[in-house]
Amino acid sequence: MANSLTRFWGQGSLQKHVVQTGLRGFSSQQNPEVEEEEEFRVLSLRTVKQQFQKRREVKKDPVTPPRSNRMAVDQDWTAAWPGPRSFHPASVPLPLRQGFTERGAAAPSKFANAELMKIPNFLHLTPPAIRQQCEALKKFCTPWPKGLETEAKWQRHFPVEVITTDYLQALPTIRNPEARRVTVSLKLSDLKFDAHARDKFLRLVGDRYDKDTDILTFVTDRCPLRKQNYDYALYLLTACYHESFVTEPWEATKSEADMEVYLFGRNKSKLSAEEILNWNAAEGAPKVEPSPSYGQSVEQLINEGENEYNLTKYKEEVKKMLNIASQ
Amino acid sequence: MNFLNKLVPQVALEVQQLSKSAIHTSAVCCRVQSGRYRITTKRDRPLTYEMANPPHFIGHRKSWNSWNTSTLKDSLRPSQTAIEDLFIRKFVTGTWHALVSSEIIIKRQHNTIRIAALIRQAISPRKMYFLIGYTEELLSSWMQCPVTLELQTVADKKDVVFKYI
Amino acid sequence: MLQALKTLPWTQSVRALASVATSATTAPNASSATIPAPEPDKLYSKLEIELRGVDPAVLKSYTWFATTAADHLGIEKGKCWSPRKAHHDRMTLLKSVHIYKKHRVQYEVRTHFRYMNFHKLTGSTLDTFLEYIERNLPEGVAMEASKTELQQIPEHLRQPPEEV
Repeated sequence: MANSLTRFWGQGSLQKHVVQTGLRGFSSQQNPEVEEEEEFRVLSLRTVKQQFQKRREVKKDPVTPPRSNRMAVDQDWTAAWPGPRSFHPASVPLPLRQGFTERGAAAPSKFANAELMKIPNFLHLTPPAIRQQCEALKKFCTPWPKGLETEAKWQRHFPVEVITTDYLQALPTIRNPEARRVTVSLKLSDLKFDAHARDKFLRLVGDRYDKDTDILTFVTDRCPLRKQNYDYALYLLTACYHESFVTEPWEATKSEADMEVYLFGRNKSKLSAEEILNWNAAEGAPKVEPSPSYGQSVEQLINEGENEYNLTKYKEEVKKMLNIASQ
Repeated sequence: MNFLNKLVPQVALEVQQLSKSAIHTSAVCCRVQSGRYRITTKRDRPLTYEMANPPHFIGHRKSWNSWNTSTLKDSLRPSQTAIEDLFIRKFVTGTWHALVSSEIIIKRQHNTIRIAALIRQAISPRKMYFLIGYTEELLSSWMQCPVTLELQTVADKKDVVFKYI
Repeated sequence: MLQALKTLPWTQSVRALASVATSATTAPNASSATIPAPEPDKLYSKLEIELRGVDPAVLKSYTWFATTAADHLGIEKGKCWSPRKAHHDRMTLLKSVHIYKKHRVQYEVRTHFRYMNFHKLTGSTLDTFLEYIERNLPEGVAMEASKTELQQIPEHLRQPPEEV
C-alpha cells in the first residue's frame, strides 16, 4: 500500500485533478482487501529503496578440457595441425615451456604464455608433413635433361644467361619496383665477328664487356615491367651486333694518328721490309712478302714496349728473314 | 589512413588542421622510463611476462609483438605498417573491452594479417564468436586484406600474471 | 598449386628438348598440325634465395625446411650459408628532449641474412618448388629469389648479317 501511495503522490502533481480523484477512488476500493491479507506496513515516504533483488546467476558454460588430453599417441599430426597458425596450447600435446626466469624457478608453462604465441612455429612443417607434401608435388617436377650435366656442356647449347629476381614480402601489394631489373649476359666468343665488327662492337658496348672473363652483360631497368626490360636488353644486343657490321663512309678516313694500336700491315716498316727483301729482284718476278711471324714480332715490340723477350724475338725474326746464320 | 577518414570525418578534419600547423604533439616516451614498471610499496602490482622484461630484452628474453618485413633492410612502407599496427591494437582492445589480458600480437604473412591475443573468459562463447567475426570483417575491409584472429582464452586475469612487484 | 598445374603440359616437352640437346643435329620431332607444338620448358642453372628476418632461429628452421623439401624433390643443393653478423640499422638520438648533448640513446633494427643455392632446375620444377617454399614462408621473413635462366642464342644473332 505504501508503495502504491507514494507512486500516486508522485503522479498526482503532474496529472490533472479529475484523473487524480478518480484514481484515488479506485485505490480506496482495492485497499481493504490487501490489508486483510498482509500485515501492517510502515509508510515510508522518503525511501525509494527497491526491494532487494536477487542477482541473476550468470550461467557459465563449462570450459572444455584441452583437446590435447584426448589425442591418441599415434594420431596423424598433419591432420591435427594442417596450416600455419599461432601456437595454441590445447592443440599441442607437448609439455612446452618458454620464458626466462630467475635461477631455480620453472619457466612459464604453455598455457597463457604469450611468448609461445609470438614466435613463428613450424608445427605444420614436420618431417612427415614435408615428405607427404613433396610426394604430392613430385608429379609436377621434371628431371634435368640428359647431356647437360656440367656447365661446359650446357654452355655449348645455351650460352645466354638471363637473371631475374622475385621479391616476396609481407605486404598488401605484390608489386616490387626492384623486380623489373633484368640481367642478360653471354660470352663474346659465342658471337661470330670479323675484325672490324668486333672492334666496333666493343666500342659500342663500352664497359658492359669484361675483358678478363670475356663476358658481355646487359643490365636493363629503365622500363617499368620485367618483360619490357628483357625485350629491351635483347634489342640492345641485336642492335649493337648488327650495327657493328655496318661500315660507315667516314670510317675509311681513319688516319695513322687515330690508331690505338700499331698494325704492321698498314705501316712504313712493312714497305721497308718488302724493299729489303725484293732488293735487286728481276722485273716481273713474284714479290717476296715478309713472314707473318716477323710482322707479329714488330707489332709486339711497338705495342707492348721494349723488353728482353720482345727484343730477343725481334732479333730472331730479323735473322730468319735476312737469312743470317746464328753463330 | 584512408580508413580513418571514412571512419570519423571530423577527426580527419582536425588532423588536417593540425598537420597544417605542423606541431608535433605526441607524448615523449623517454627511454629510461618507457616499458618499465616501478616497484610498489605493497609489492602487489601484477606484471605479465611481457611487462616484466624491459624493452632492451626484446630479442633476448622476449620477442617482438609485430612480425612484419617492413622494418627489415630495404623494405617498403615501414611507416604505413606501423600506423596500421597501432590502429589494429586500438581497435581490438576497444572491441574486446576489458577482455584482452596480454599484448596484441600482429603477424603479417604474405598479404594476410594474423592477430593473436589472450582473452579472458568473461563473456559467453556466443558473444565471443560474434566479436571474432565482427573484428575480422571490419579490419579486413579497412586493411583490404584477409585478417584472422587466433585467440587463446584464459579463465582468470591472474593466469597471465608472471610476478608481483 | 594452380601454378604447378599450369606447368603440367610442359612436362612432355622437356624430353623433346633433352633429345635436341643430346643430338643437336636432329630436328625437333614435328607434332601433328592440329596440336600446337609443345612449348619447350625453360632451364634454370641456378636458383639463389636470400632470406631476411629479425630472428636467426626462424631463418635457420626455414632453411632446414627448404633444403629438406629440395632433397625430397630431387633438386641439387648448392651452398647454404649466412653471414656471421647481422646488419644493424642504428639511429642515435638525444636521450633528453631538449639539451644534454653528451647523453644519447641508440635504437637499432637488426636484419639477419641467410642464403641458399639450388642448381639445375627445369622450369616446371622451379615453379613447383619455389611456390611450395614461398607459400610456407613464416611471418617476418622476406625473400628474394634470383633465377638464372639458360637460353639459346636468338636465331638472328647466330650468323653475321648478310647485307650490310
